[in-house]
Amino acid sequence: MKQLITLTVNNQEYELAVEPNLTLLDLLRYRLELTGTKKGCDEGDCGACTVIMNGKPVSSCLILAVQANGKEILTIEGMETEEGIHPIQKAFIDKGAIQCGYCTPGMILSAKALLDRNPHPSEEEIRTAISGNLCRCTGYQKIVEAIEDVSEKSS
Amino acid sequence: MLLPKFDYHEPSTLEEACEVMAELGDRAKLLAGGTDLIVNMKKKIIAPEHVVSLGRLDVLREIGSSNGTIRIGALTTAAEIAESGVVTEGFAALGQGASNLGSPLIRNLATVGGNLASARPAADLPPPLMAYGARVIIRKKEGERSIPLDDFITGPGVTNLGPGEILAEIEIDRPPAYSGAGYLKLGARKALEISLVNVASFITLDAPGGVITSARIIMGAVGPIPLRAPSAEKILIGEKPSDHLFEKAGQEAAGDSRPIDDFRGSAEYRRDMVEVLTRRTLAAALAEVGRQ
Repeated sequence: MKQLITLTVNNQEYELAVEPNLTLLDLLRYRLELTGTKKGCDEGDCGACTVIMNGKPVSSCLILAVQANGKEILTIEGMETEEGIHPIQKAFIDKGAIQCGYCTPGMILSAKALLDRNPHPSEEEIRTAISGNLCRCTGYQKIVEAIEDVSEKSS
Repeated sequence: MLLPKFDYHEPSTLEEACEVMAELGDRAKLLAGGTDLIVNMKKKIIAPEHVVSLGRLDVLREIGSSNGTIRIGALTTAAEIAESGVVTEGFAALGQGASNLGSPLIRNLATVGGNLASARPAADLPPPLMAYGARVIIRKKEGERSIPLDDFITGPGVTNLGPGEILAEIEIDRPPAYSGAGYLKLGARKALEISLVNVASFITLDAPGGVITSARIIMGAVGPIPLRAPSAEKILIGEKPSDHLFEKAGQEAAGDSRPIDDFRGSAEYRRDMVEVLTRRTLAAALAEVGRQ
């Protein structure tokens, strides 16, 4: 039986009727057509599906849509503002921290959750913060440099 | 991967959750963090008719401290435990277990109750909690019972929980003076790793520079459940801590372990690593005593 849920995604409120066996990831991708959140392993190992839920980065493939009732979700689509793309997104481009791009939305959201909490993290704190996001292209170095760059530019 | 169909329940109080579980019994699975349950349902290992989410029971998401005892609600996440001042100050080995679990994304979801109730032999939280002598508080419609965590996990994926019962809280007494503990996890990588071996050690001395009056050593991933190391604990009691003593304790612990060969590592390697991790966690425990 479908259940009625209300959730906020990228500052927009949605009221939706969802089947209990729908994951938050599939809700975002197939119902709301926010396909920036990627589906990788679909079992919590790769971090491609990372979203920020009530301020914390989580794997959206492990959360039921019904569990997101009343929650506030930020996906990669919500990072851009009227002023342009987010400074973390800009740093990823400038530093060449993107290759195939599949891990990038999750990486950027993990980085945002870190910098919101800790604007000037050490290299080790950065590496720990992105340790749940697998990247098979970059070797991580340029991703770490991009996040360091944002941290250095913020006051 | 599609999840099998199920009916979803979301009780808003613990009493209501107990009522629902009493009615549904074995047909229902409890959902806490979901990092184990949802994966097993996607893989079609289990397909419960009913899923009962504990997500609205905020009362079980607290770490409380009173009269020398701390109580950790079963829904407290690994991240919340790792960041809790009460834990990092008084129960550092538990904080280390929590901060080694999965990845940041998993730690924001996975709960202490789930980590105990899923009863995986390599889980990160049972060894430190058992080392501190934790008890679990189990609720059901008819009432409440409390048992030592040592008796809670009975087999791989199997616990002492009966039909209709809910693991509600974990209770730990503050250790006596001159106590310390350590936890170490060995894996091939730093994140999203299932332990090859993990060990938690706890000791109490009678005085600074004195003899060991109590010891608990728990070894994970080297048996069907997290195991105590009785021979190692025995040789520590009544002795003054030293490198030589900890080395002997490591050898005894290796003898107490019951590892198997699998794709993660051989039994022989695991036994050797029990020896090393026991020695090192005992040294960490002693160092903690020294800082008091």
